[in-house]
Amino acid sequence: MLKAVIDGIEMELKEKMSILDAAKKAKINIPTLCYEEGLSIYGGCRLCVVEIEGEELFKPACATDIQAGMEIKTHSKKVRNLRKNLFELIIATHNIDCQLNCLTCSRANNCELKNIAEDIGVSKMRLDPIKRGEGIDNSSYSIIREPEKCISCNRCIRKCEEVQGIGIFTTANRGPETVVTTFKNRGMGNVECTNCGQCILSCPTGALHELYQKDIVLDILSDQTKHVVVQTAPAVRVAISEPFSNQAGDISTGQLVTALKRLGFDAVFDTNFTADLTIMEEGTELIERINSGGKLPLFTSCSPGWIKFIEHFYPEYLDNLSSAKSPQQMFGALAKTYYAEEAGIDPEDIVVVSVMPCTAKKFEAKRDEMAGDVDYVLTTRELASMIKSAGIDFLNLEDSEYDELLGVSSGAADIFGTTGGVMEAALRTATELITGQELENIDFDIVRGLEGIKKAEVEIGELKLKAAVAHGLGNARRVMEMIKEGEEFDFVEFMACPGGCMGGGGQPISCADNVLEKRQQAIYKIDKEKKLRKSHENPYIKKLYDNYLEKPGSEKAHRLLHTKYKARKI
Amino acid sequence: MVSEKLYLKGDKLLNILDYDFKSIKNALRMGRKETIQKIKDSELKGRGGAAFPTGLKWQLASEVEGEEKFLVCNADEGEPGTFKDRYLLEERPLKVLEGIMLAAFAIGADKAYIYIRGEYTRAIEVFTEIIAAARKNKILDSKIFDSNFKLEIKLVRGAGAYVCGDETSLLNSIEGKRGRSRIKPPYPIQEGLFSQPTVVNNVESLCCAAEVLNPDSEEFANLGIEGSRGTKLLCLSGDLNKPGLYEVEFGKITLQEIIYDLAGGIKAGENLKFVIPGGISTALITAKDLDFPYSYQAFEKRGSSLGSGAVIAVSKKHDLLDLMLNVSRFYMDETCGTCFPCREGNRQINKILKEFKNSGQKIDAELISDIGNTIRLAARCGLGQSSLNFISSVIENYGQELKIGGKIYA
Repeated sequence: MLKAVIDGIEMELKEKMSILDAAKKAKINIPTLCYEEGLSIYGGCRLCVVEIEGEELFKPACATDIQAGMEIKTHSKKVRNLRKNLFELIIATHNIDCQLNCLTCSRANNCELKNIAEDIGVSKMRLDPIKRGEGIDNSSYSIIREPEKCISCNRCIRKCEEVQGIGIFTTANRGPETVVTTFKNRGMGNVECTNCGQCILSCPTGALHELYQKDIVLDILSDQTKHVVVQTAPAVRVAISEPFSNQAGDISTGQLVTALKRLGFDAVFDTNFTADLTIMEEGTELIERINSGGKLPLFTSCSPGWIKFIEHFYPEYLDNLSSAKSPQQMFGALAKTYYAEEAGIDPEDIVVVSVMPCTAKKFEAKRDEMAGDVDYVLTTRELASMIKSAGIDFLNLEDSEYDELLGVSSGAADIFGTTGGVMEAALRTATELITGQELENIDFDIVRGLEGIKKAEVEIGELKLKAAVAHGLGNARRVMEMIKEGEEFDFVEFMACPGGCMGGGGQPISCADNVLEKRQQAIYKIDKEKKLRKSHENPYIKKLYDNYLEKPGSEKAHRLLHTKYKARKI
Repeated sequence: MVSEKLYLKGDKLLNILDYDFKSIKNALRMGRKETIQKIKDSELKGRGGAAFPTGLKWQLASEVEGEEKFLVCNADEGEPGTFKDRYLLEERPLKVLEGIMLAAFAIGADKAYIYIRGEYTRAIEVFTEIIAAARKNKILDSKIFDSNFKLEIKLVRGAGAYVCGDETSLLNSIEGKRGRSRIKPPYPIQEGLFSQPTVVNNVESLCCAAEVLNPDSEEFANLGIEGSRGTKLLCLSGDLNKPGLYEVEFGKITLQEIIYDLAGGIKAGENLKFVIPGGISTALITAKDLDFPYSYQAFEKRGSSLGSGAVIAVSKKHDLLDLMLNVSRFYMDETCGTCFPCREGNRQINKILKEFKNSGQKIDAELISDIGNTIRLAARCGLGQSSLNFISSVIENYGQELKIGGKIYA
């Protein structure tokens, strides 16, 4: 322990603590921009500089450890003035003009720069915006980059490299020409980007955002000749209210359905239904591989970011991937066949829209192997923006139910939205199907929580199933390396995003604390409160197999619900 | 009449068989502790610009535990106006080699790097040959001069970034990373090259160390005055009759004598306006104020620094604004782009000066001092912190003449 004084407050602090953390303990907020919890310290923006008694030059609070006896001024007049001046320099590089401005920005309603400006008390702007003349990078099916807005804080670079273990971004050039770019400036669509969108969550400027399809979808909704159906992913319902309420952890399934109906969707279905279906198909595949000595471990295949990751970096393991399509794609395939037949609608007239917590789903929908299943993919953020622009008072909406046929789901499907959920859902079903006995306790706590890599050995009758769960591609890589080194597993769940889908790159960018924990609690609450909690007990799944697909893994199921993968270059 | 004191300078010496390596032999005989003590006693300070006590640096590094240790010779001489290291590398490379060996021995490193500015093609050729000759003659690698001292030397060629002259940027560059400064602490002594304890010394500092340990030049350490010991290589340039490389004893010669005696005064028909005493990152000294002995402390007292030893004499014929624009352009282009105050501040200062030059419109005095202070107080490394020293001193001394109100450093 050591003693130091921060803004006149005497503090007793642990050694090796940054001034930034020490100030937090003293309930003092120091503005930061290039700093992000969980990423390495960059020390570039210098907004967090503080005055230390006896030192002439200011020190960055994020990168300076507190020392015994330090007297620190975090908001002296000199510091405050410096921050204002510095902010002016920063904002000049953000290039606000008629085309690029706060009104049209993806971060219009939650701009980090604006919040910082407010914290600093910026009162004047004396510098003209700097035009670099960089074009928009629209090479990706998922993510758009507007480099003119980029201020080179490097958060996207560090997120991609340190959390996701990929590193598609880099800093190029020096001096005023310093820019963040992709390898050889090829564009995000032409490098090893997995489309996970975690960079979007880290970008404070709106220089990164998803490829918007909200306007096209709004247009199609007003086209009376089209029958537009929508599906909502499990993680959307625990986050969609955040842009309206500014708090995390609320469950708004019923209001989500109402809002979609008001927007004019002809049928509102649930990706949860096909999540249950995924368990049937993938579970069957697992049991089959175990029984027939097939390729193990089996890898889950619901996360399109993970799929592109393995295609780039571990193509030699593509045979380990479950051939089951993701729930989004299964839904698309069924909507245009099973649903079309049942409802008596020409599949040509059906437009399938998804609402996903995910940016990689936009890429997935465009994959050659499954093209046409899903027509448009909206992120949770895009849907929130559509709801706002339609004048819908979301928080005060009454609840509605999903349409039947493709709208009923079990709690096992709900937990697909969090890391460990697919594993738990599969374990519930696999155990009962293999043993033929009802589970006493269906909560598999062993695969829950937010630990990066979870390993479990689960007894299913005679069988001891070795399972692993990884979320965040950095952890996915770690597990792949364990497998390469000979560690044995039977079944591994991989999710590209930290936290799983609930932490997806298409989710609202929240200012609330512990967002992931709160969303996760909400997801488990939904599951807990449902009567139906096992995929194989979903009556509409039974009906689907009875009336249409025959049985899990049938020829027809394979044609509609399974896919192939391809090796990609690095 | 003033004269040079020649220790570092001398006849071109490239043949390894003509060099006797007395200093390193002496050090090997004395042992590490005593070698470091000798350097400490000599009060040698780093000659690259930062003037950190060399002996202390060696001592700290020798006491740190690490899997391995590295000695890095900083030969990325990029400060405009400086050419002393180039001279040493091209004409006195054996002394540089001996300095590297000494420092490596003292701190307990068995690997050393020399990072030479990429444009110094001749120096790179010469030093490559010197390393090869040393290996051939069993002066490097193992059992050096029949001792247990081992040393491998690798030469790394810089790729042209000024910022890589900063020691932590240089380490990044050797590691193959982007040339940008590291956050300190940890200092290189604790975690330097490849995260191992590392000492980075300037070429001239290492040559001075070789002089200190040389039994034939015992008096070297007693030259100069307290706080400024030994000799200093001066790179005299600008509007002088006899520009070039000179070696002077600290404290025994004034800046006036350096300009008017050593360098033969200002070119015919011109009058001296000011002197840039240590490269373009130092504040100018006006022509009226040259009559003081050349020493670290004398410059510090005047709010400047002897920097790298690049003394540039500037006569009255130059357009001050052009000079400022030239320097500003240099810093704008050479910032590594990492920290916002340096990258954006230098860009804006350049823009403001350019607009002033083109339109003559009054400069916003408050704005330039706001930007200037932001860079100086908040920049991440020495490059940024000192990037406006010269421009600021021009405005401070000649603001009225330029019709620029205000100051950069307020």
